[in-house]
Amino acid sequence: MFDLPNFSIPIYVFLFVYVAYMLFYVLYALFNIYHLIRYGVYGFGLYLIVTIFTGGTIILVSGSVFLLMEYNWTYPITLDEAVDYYNEDLFPAL
Amino acid sequence: MMRLDHLPNQRPDERVILFLRRHWFAILAIVVAFTLLVSIPLILGWFFWGRVSVWLEHPVLGPLVVIIGSIYFLCVWLFAFLEFTDYYLDTWIITNERIINIEQQGLFNRTASELDLAAVQDATAEIRGLWQTLFTYGNVFVQTAGEKNRFHFKNINDPEQVKELITALVEDDKRRLSALGAGIRGKIKTVIK
Repeated sequence: MFDLPNFSIPIYVFLFVYVAYMLFYVLYALFNIYHLIRYGVYGFGLYLIVTIFTGGTIILVSGSVFLLMEYNWTYPITLDEAVDYYNEDLFPAL
Repeated sequence: MMRLDHLPNQRPDERVILFLRRHWFAILAIVVAFTLLVSIPLILGWFFWGRVSVWLEHPVLGPLVVIIGSIYFLCVWLFAFLEFTDYYLDTWIITNERIINIEQQGLFNRTASELDLAAVQDATAEIRGLWQTLFTYGNVFVQTAGEKNRFHFKNINDPEQVKELITALVEDDKRRLSALGAGIRGKIKTVIK
């Protein structure tokens, strides 16, 4: 038979996906805000909407960063350990 | 930014009579969808907290769960905001001389049309179904003379009253133009950006 090489990658690779999504989010959000300011009807309501959206985004991103800071991002994912994730502690129904 | 006291191509003596958006029921639909999309995962997380907390403490699954959760909630927040923008930018402005229809379709399509009141042939109000009857909202169609295009006021509050107002304004505008000797000079202009 053959042996699979036991390679490992650090878990910070997840952050690349997250950063890519955040770039998409920021681009889309800015484009949307531009539309609101460019074409919306002048008034207090318009500023309120933009402030609520920006505030909500800041709260969500801050909360996520706060939770993500707890982890050790250099922790490696190895092929051997990947099999161990399917254990009864994590997925008791399996 | 558009100002109601300074409309695009505003004419002398032109004033805004009515500014319309879709009925608040459209907002309610967005709020209900947003609430469900946010509360269901939170309730499931609370219900299965014993299991979720084990995942969160795991050195690999923990970050993955937090990242997926963060992306999910940001997606819901962005989706709600996009839907709200679509609602907010769909407007109808009725002045004493014309009707302006501004429609936002998604983020990349926007249609702005205007119609002289003198070109209006008839206006039709339509209330259909249980919800529209209960909450008194519906559609108004404005048919123009010699044109196939119809202005469509979608899901506005009290369509009957709006139709009556348009009919009265059309009569006033026709009388005004007759007095000026200008005759009917209305046409539809459409600009797509």
